Amino acid sequence: MHIHELNPKKTLIAFVIFAIVIIAGLITLSGPRLKYKLSAEKTIELVAWDDGYVFPYEIEDVLVGAIDTVIIIDIRNTFDFSRGHIPGAENISAVELLSKENIKRMTKLQKDGYKVLLYGETLLQANGPWMVFRQLGFDNVSALMGGYQYYEIWKDNLADSYADDGYLEGAADFDYADVAANANVTEDDEQKQSLNVTRRKKSTVVEGGC
Amino acid sequence: MNKNYIFLAALLIILAGGLLFLPEKNNQVQENPENLMWDIAQPTRYVTTDQVAKMIIEKDPLFQLVDVRQNYDYEYFSLPGAYNVPIDSLLTEISDIILDTDDINTILYSDDDIKADQAWVIAKRMGYNNIYVMKGGLNCWIRTIIQPEAPPETAPITDLELYEFRKGASLFFTGAAISVDTDNKQGLKITRKKKETVAEGGC
Repeated sequence: MHIHELNPKKTLIAFVIFAIVIIAGLITLSGPRLKYKLSAEKTIELVAWDDGYVFPYEIEDVLVGAIDTVIIIDIRNTFDFSRGHIPGAENISAVELLSKENIKRMTKLQKDGYKVLLYGETLLQANGPWMVFRQLGFDNVSALMGGYQYYEIWKDNLADSYADDGYLEGAADFDYADVAANANVTEDDEQKQSLNVTRRKKSTVVEGGC
Repeated sequence: MNKNYIFLAALLIILAGGLLFLPEKNNQVQENPENLMWDIAQPTRYVTTDQVAKMIIEKDPLFQLVDVRQNYDYEYFSLPGAYNVPIDSLLTEISDIILDTDDINTILYSDDDIKADQAWVIAKRMGYNNIYVMKGGLNCWIRTIIQPEAPPETAPITDLELYEFRKGASLFFTGAAISVDTDNKQGLKITRKKKETVAEGGC
């Protein structure tokens, strides 16, 4: 007989300890720090509408101070930021965007009714961070179309970019099938005969080479 | 004495059996937002049109192309061998079959790279791996591969070599289109006959 078998209530004690460990484990089981508020289906709807993008001429009002509830964040690295940035922009590089302090601040900005505008070198660079923020439930975050490259070209007459469409992305620039079909056919209307001759020559060259 | 041990063992087994009845909601593991943001900040997901052209020409078996544009755009023009998964059907079963491949690299493309990048973010969130984006999309494909611009003669040798490659690739991708050109049927027939005799010649 082992010494621990002397205790008549040992089954009960073992059971209680077992239960306490399980319950404590369940309570302290921490979820991830950040959770998606937008389901994947909703995210697809979001990108289908493209309404989170800001036109370059729209930031004119922010820059002259007519609107003061917009925070502009430059998500490029410090080096690029120091070489030139939109006036009044803060520099928070993409990898630091989800840091604890920044999330806290973003939550406060959202509560206070501020809008946050992200921009990168191009729209593409800001697109991913913008999507992550939207998926985390920050619906006050948007991204600048054209990015800093477009802004730099138009910075002296930003309002005039209203008439330009160089910042538009996501559209086809070509009639692909047409371009691909005619890429290497040059003035073929008159040269059909010569084209045939060229081909014959090619095949004899192959014969000789073998 | 033994009864107690049996009781405890039975208890554990019953509790373990309870796992069977847990809801299945955690079945699909989503990438957590911090990792997702980290991946987004890296430019490693982009492949160039030249790399894609090379993989198509060499018939690389370890990659597949996925067109995320709408179905009618895909029907009208798409890259050779590309699948079509419009961005709004990303969570359907058919897209799961195409994207859920461990050994094959999937390259997404659209008109430019915004839509493909958006699709990439969603696919990455859903936990798919080995997914890439063709930088510049089809617009860049036309500019670099189909209509390559000749570099100046003073350009470095690498630029000239790249141009040579693109010129060849352009012929590779558009050659078929020329042969089915409307009025060239006569010429086409002649060419084919010649080719046959070449093969007969014992090459």
